[in-house]
Amino acid sequence: MSILGLSYCPWSPIFWLLASVVVTIMACFFRRQGQKKYKKDTEQTEIFLCGEEVPEAKQRHIRAHNVYWGFFETLKEYYGANMKAHTGIINDYIIWFLVLIAISAVILFIAGGV
Amino acid sequence: MVIILARDIYLNGLHVYTLGASSPNLTIPEHYMVPVRIILEVDAMSIFMAIITATVSLAAAIYSLSFMKGETGQNRFYTLLLLLVAGMFGMELTGDLFNLFVFLEIASIAGAALTAFRTRFADTAEGGFKYIIISATAALIILFAIGILYAQYNLINIGALANVMQYTMLDKIALALLVIAFAMKLGAIPLHMWVPDTYAVAPAGISAMLVVSSQACMYALYRVCFTLFGITLNMYTVGWLVIILGMLSMFVGVTMAIPQTDIKRLMAYHAISQSGYMLLGVGVGLAVLGNPEALATYGRAAMSGGIFHIINHAMYKGLLFLTAGALFYRVGHRDLNRMGGLAHKMKWTAIFYIIGALSISGIPPSNGFASKLLIYESVYRFNPILAIVAMITSILTLASFTKAFYSAFMGAELPEYEEVKEAPKSMIAGMAILAAGIIFFSLFPGLIVDWLAHPAADALISQGAYINGIMGGGG
Repeated sequence: MSILGLSYCPWSPIFWLLASVVVTIMACFFRRQGQKKYKKDTEQTEIFLCGEEVPEAKQRHIRAHNVYWGFFETLKEYYGANMKAHTGIINDYIIWFLVLIAISAVILFIAGGV
Repeated sequence: MVIILARDIYLNGLHVYTLGASSPNLTIPEHYMVPVRIILEVDAMSIFMAIITATVSLAAAIYSLSFMKGETGQNRFYTLLLLLVAGMFGMELTGDLFNLFVFLEIASIAGAALTAFRTRFADTAEGGFKYIIISATAALIILFAIGILYAQYNLINIGALANVMQYTMLDKIALALLVIAFAMKLGAIPLHMWVPDTYAVAPAGISAMLVVSSQACMYALYRVCFTLFGITLNMYTVGWLVIILGMLSMFVGVTMAIPQTDIKRLMAYHAISQSGYMLLGVGVGLAVLGNPEALATYGRAAMSGGIFHIINHAMYKGLLFLTAGALFYRVGHRDLNRMGGLAHKMKWTAIFYIIGALSISGIPPSNGFASKLLIYESVYRFNPILAIVAMITSILTLASFTKAFYSAFMGAELPEYEEVKEAPKSMIAGMAILAAGIIFFSLFPGLIVDWLAHPAADALISQGAYINGIMGGGG
């Protein structure tokens, strides 16, 4: 029931889960080897930012529009063209619809068979 | 009831139900050559869709108990919700083209009214308006196509029409109209632009149901291509048409999702992208339908992968919309730029989001991984480039959901959300139903593929069985 038959090799989530359990046990083991002498609720457990003052939570949270900035900068031409097509105007949506019907009809006339 | 019917169909094959006949199996009355009554025809593909509709609608209805608590006119809300369910069930179970149109209209009107239901928000009316305009236009074109077929053959029953289909020039026009109209209703690119406008503003439970409503239109598209036209058309050309729509939807959908900062718009673009996988898998099956060797080697597996992905998508996208709704319910907006640190306060919502996000990104051992693996492997044998683009799409999906998770849930607790609490119990229950479905499908992918996806794919492939269900007197 858990095995999915594929052409090359079967897939079973059970084996993956067993492997995950082994990795988790190993991770817990290594974690237990770590430093235990630190003092809770003192400056030892606070954020260290190269000796600089740590900004407030609101200021140090990176906001969504800043995430993947480099990705968007690299693909700005692609996004520019794409955003331009997304006008938000319903008339444009219907024009796309009519154009695509015409293209499909032409394709079916030419290569639709029989 | 859906489960009982599914079991019966799995054991005994396709069922028909003739409305108003002396016997439900009497599809062609005495002294008649063709079926004249409204007939429900339920095969493995229809019941597969009905299972999805029933599960997601149940979760959405339970979720809405708390989500819609403060709203006025709740009796009207739940009436419309049931009307939407009826419309979707009707589309999936009918064996009649005109009935399909009627149920599509019912689902569309109910969906638009539910989208615009919370009139106190400025953007809901716009979302509902766009949805009804798009739906009405698509339905009009579908009705026109049905008219073309009726004018030629004097029939509107799918099985009876398939039996006499000659694939004339007029039939080609009808096919083009039907394919593109259903493609617009399911949100395939470049006909997708209404999807983020509508899904983002609808109540969260309704967004989840609109995903299923779009999938019902995808089912109608499959039914038209495989059952209504089937072997008469050039499967390779139409298959590639569906594949191209799928590829565009996958790639453009995910790349447009990444820059979104409205969490529900982001998810709506992912709904478009995931539809691409389903179109790709089933499109490959359609393209090789005329080649029995390729169909047996990888075509059927591609179709099963695409069909398995439909149920997976309904579960995880439904769940993700519900988590977005829970965030909106507590913080009062959908803007990821203003969120942060909410996992401190909304632990269950965060856990459900992680389950949904891992599944949609195809991370093992999730159900999303199992269906995508089926699609990758079989599509690779058809055309490796298609499989590579599908994998890149999956990576971008993970990137997008990581961004949304980080922006909404991670980071230190923000002062403006000090008072925020976990979502109410009924909303947690709604999310838990879909999360349980995801976990079950993840643990037993073989069971789902063998009992649901393969029979559904076989039902689409075997056009003769569907025709025989009507013309042979029923099952």
